[in-house]
Amino acid sequence: MTAPTLPADVLRDDAARPRFDTGRNLPGRLVRRPDALIGLAILAAFAVLAIAPDLLVGPLQTAITAEGPRLRGPMPGFPLGTDELGRDMLNLTVHASRISMVIGLLATIITVVIGALLGVVSGFVGGWLDGILMRIADFFLVIPTFVLAIILTSIIRDVVGSGAREVFGIRFGLIAIIIVIGITSWSSTARIIRSQTLSLRERAFVDRARVVGAGPGYIMRRHILPNVINLIVANAVLVFAGAVLTETTLSFVGLGDPFQPSWGQLLDAAREVDAPGLGAWWYFAPPGICIVLVVFAFTLVGGALDDILNPKRRQRR
Amino acid sequence: MTDETQLAPTTTPVTPRALGRRQWPLPKLADPAAPLLEVDNLTTQFALPSGAVHAVDGVSFRLDYGEALGIAGESGCGKTTTALSLVRLLPANARITSGSVRLYGIDLVPKSENALRRYRWREISIVFQGAMNALNPVQRVQDQIAEPIQERLSVSPRAARKRAAELLELVGIPKKRGSAYPHELSGGMRQRAMIAMALACDPAIVIGDEPTTALDVMVQAQILALLERLRDQLGLSLILITHDLSVIAETCDRVLVMYAGKVAEEGPVPDVFTRPRHPYTQKLLSAFPNIRADRRTLDVIPGSPPDLRTPPPGCRFAPRCPLAMPVCSQVVPPEVTFDGVRVACHLYPAGSSGQPVPVPLAPPIAAAAPDPAGESVA
Amino acid sequence: MGSGYLARRLVTAVVTIALILVVNFFLFRAMPGSPERILGRNPNVTPELLAEKRAAWGLDKPVIPDQLVRYIGSTLQGDLGFSILARGQSVTDVLAQRIWPTIILFGLGEILAIIIGLTLGAYSGWRRGGPVDYIGNGISLLLYSAPYFLIGMAFLLVFASALHWFPTFGMLTSGTGNADLGARLVDFLAHLALPLATVAIGLVGQYAIVMRSSVIETLSEDYVTTARAMGLKEGRILRRHALPNAMLPTVTLIAINLGYVVAGAITVEIVFNWPGLGTLTVEALSARDYPVLQGVFLLLSVAVVLANLVADLVYGVLDPRVRT
Repeated sequence: MTAPTLPADVLRDDAARPRFDTGRNLPGRLVRRPDALIGLAILAAFAVLAIAPDLLVGPLQTAITAEGPRLRGPMPGFPLGTDELGRDMLNLTVHASRISMVIGLLATIITVVIGALLGVVSGFVGGWLDGILMRIADFFLVIPTFVLAIILTSIIRDVVGSGAREVFGIRFGLIAIIIVIGITSWSSTARIIRSQTLSLRERAFVDRARVVGAGPGYIMRRHILPNVINLIVANAVLVFAGAVLTETTLSFVGLGDPFQPSWGQLLDAAREVDAPGLGAWWYFAPPGICIVLVVFAFTLVGGALDDILNPKRRQRR
Repeated sequence: MTDETQLAPTTTPVTPRALGRRQWPLPKLADPAAPLLEVDNLTTQFALPSGAVHAVDGVSFRLDYGEALGIAGESGCGKTTTALSLVRLLPANARITSGSVRLYGIDLVPKSENALRRYRWREISIVFQGAMNALNPVQRVQDQIAEPIQERLSVSPRAARKRAAELLELVGIPKKRGSAYPHELSGGMRQRAMIAMALACDPAIVIGDEPTTALDVMVQAQILALLERLRDQLGLSLILITHDLSVIAETCDRVLVMYAGKVAEEGPVPDVFTRPRHPYTQKLLSAFPNIRADRRTLDVIPGSPPDLRTPPPGCRFAPRCPLAMPVCSQVVPPEVTFDGVRVACHLYPAGSSGQPVPVPLAPPIAAAAPDPAGESVA
Repeated sequence: MGSGYLARRLVTAVVTIALILVVNFFLFRAMPGSPERILGRNPNVTPELLAEKRAAWGLDKPVIPDQLVRYIGSTLQGDLGFSILARGQSVTDVLAQRIWPTIILFGLGEILAIIIGLTLGAYSGWRRGGPVDYIGNGISLLLYSAPYFLIGMAFLLVFASALHWFPTFGMLTSGTGNADLGARLVDFLAHLALPLATVAIGLVGQYAIVMRSSVIETLSEDYVTTARAMGLKEGRILRRHALPNAMLPTVTLIAINLGYVVAGAITVEIVFNWPGLGTLTVEALSARDYPVLQGVFLLLSVAVVLANLVADLVYGVLDPRVRT
């Protein structure tokens, strides 16, 4: 009843603006941001290290193939020093990149698959299923999953045994870590995807599909999923960072595999020989710096993606 | 500058008593003979990374004691910025680059931030749009009203609370609701609370920035009635900023129509609403559906307001104006006053007595506009 | 505060603890070192003896509900089983010995981090821009990416082994047990300094970042503009209007974070050999002392749930909107 005193064209433009970003041209917009570029560059560098460590530094040195003096700082031939077995730290660190990154990647895949699946189903179906799933998710968010992960990992190891068999180039013992990270980290992904699903569910195209007679599975696959993919990717980046940190910490408390050392495992070894106390900074600085760089890079990229996909937050700036 | 022949202000003498229940004295520098508020050629500029924007470009107007002035215009025309410039409540990248704002004859523009604080809320207060966010969600309403009383008027907390209770009663909020938090009140109540807050220090001028936009019609009517009553009771002067012309028609004495940072037209409400001179005003009024007339399609103004980083030369409305002449896109139209109305349009060049210059163009737009115009289309 | 809010939070906490107990029980069943399996491997044990033992332990009853109920019952009474590593000492005793160092380290660290982090963040958000802000933000982000134990190792290297300002491990220097209280206290504090600094710095980064963005967002709210329009002094606007609202997301963050901080605290203890629950966890892990591990899990989980409850209550005090 109030007079429409705004010119109608202005009113029309206002309504057409989308409430959330549909993520068009995401890679293009991402590389335009300096923070994302730095992050991507760092990640690309580590990806190179992770894919072909042998090409760069030769095969992983073992106690048998170690050539250098024990626990000595950087010197000609050993730019990053040696560990207590005489192995070249550079060699160890580069190979550890492969282990840490692959474990992180696999754990992220498991986490995101579980989280996205449960999130979409929970958000779309609703009702008691949603209630139960979210209670479980909240449970995992509240408890200190780290201690649970420690217990679960050692139980799985002891029951399944850790031999030399490898999956994806990772020894069995470490697979336990991957699975446990996946089981304990899916909650926040599930909650985020569920939120998005809830708002998508109310939109017109879902109603249209329902009216036509499409079943819930079809709608979830063909309509909901494509629209949450961008969110999943943004979330996966941050999950990857978390997975790397979790694996590092689990390895640090002794659940790593000395035959396939990850960065965390190297840090554990450094502590066991009291490297900080002895002043052997070269033992823990390289793996440490790698961890910080990788997590930092993921955080930058993840933050940039989040910024792009959340225009409302963008306006606030 | 406004013409001397403008309608005389209300004839109340300028003593503290004339300002209603005001119990605190005028500022020391006040000139009793000066008009309440006189804004002359005010220009406010925003420094954006893409260039400077003159959101307010040479705006002048006057407000007299007990008067209610409505500032109308579409979003982005500079009406809110004008109001905020009066008390210099501008964001960090904005500043007043020229002009004067004289309150009781005291120019506020050159004053330092500290000196200006004296005038905020005690002389000019603001009721913001969308009172949900304008109230502190973790503070009780009565405390928010008492706060400026206590802090700005150096009054004891107990006296402040007492006065806050009086104000709540004045705006029609039951006393026991005073201890509520903002989220516990309805939209109308919150707006009343904001009005009570605005009155806390007995200001001379209350600025309402879209005070009824977020409310439904029934509540809107109540709030407007409240403002009317307070005007009478307290001798308040109001500046109402809104895009809703019906609010101005109902509540205001005079109206100032702004477009793209400049004044388009200004005058007494009955005059401007029945005989709009500026084509933009005509369009605004005609977009207002007449409840008694035949149903027809909405009359829209094609195009959109100009980008103020690069305003068009000449009259800013020219690109969208159906009566535009060649001179309109070259020369900025001067402000001309006649019959108590001020217009900035080349249809009324300097020295005009109120007859628009004939334009060889399409028939007039608004049914109320009596200008004769040619039949041929330019 | 509305009793509804309080009641809901209590119920959620109780339900979560119940779930924790159930999860713990099933972990107990799954663990490889279960007594009956150990006994079963012993060739001298006859089937009758095995059956007898199983009956004594109640293992012949059905898992649900009997064994579950029995487990929950005994747990609630404080019986958490016996430690394998500590040769028969009850898990409760073992935990009791190691809990105070952790509480001191972790508690003081949180308090320090809250005070420093919130202050830094608020100041940063208030005086936005400028090199201090950007550098501070960058450092915070980097610290946020580093695991706590890494920071600890760096500190250990620099301040303990290189500069010799602080001792390198443990809580007390052995042999000072007979010295006077003052000397013991100084010794304790010297040992506490580095691990405390590590925990505090790890947390400060996070809290500062969140507080900063919270303050920035709050300062752009309409009620702050209103307060400015009222001519209130800047200090009062910050204290009475901006900060109380900016605190809210920070309290939420502190609560959500508690689970993660536990992981960090455990690792910091390991680096500095601080005799708390963290080092206990690692010792128990390497010895596969499952009863102790589960006891730690139970204790820490319940502690985090209770801390979350406290945080919820604090939030209810700060934000009247949730109380209805």
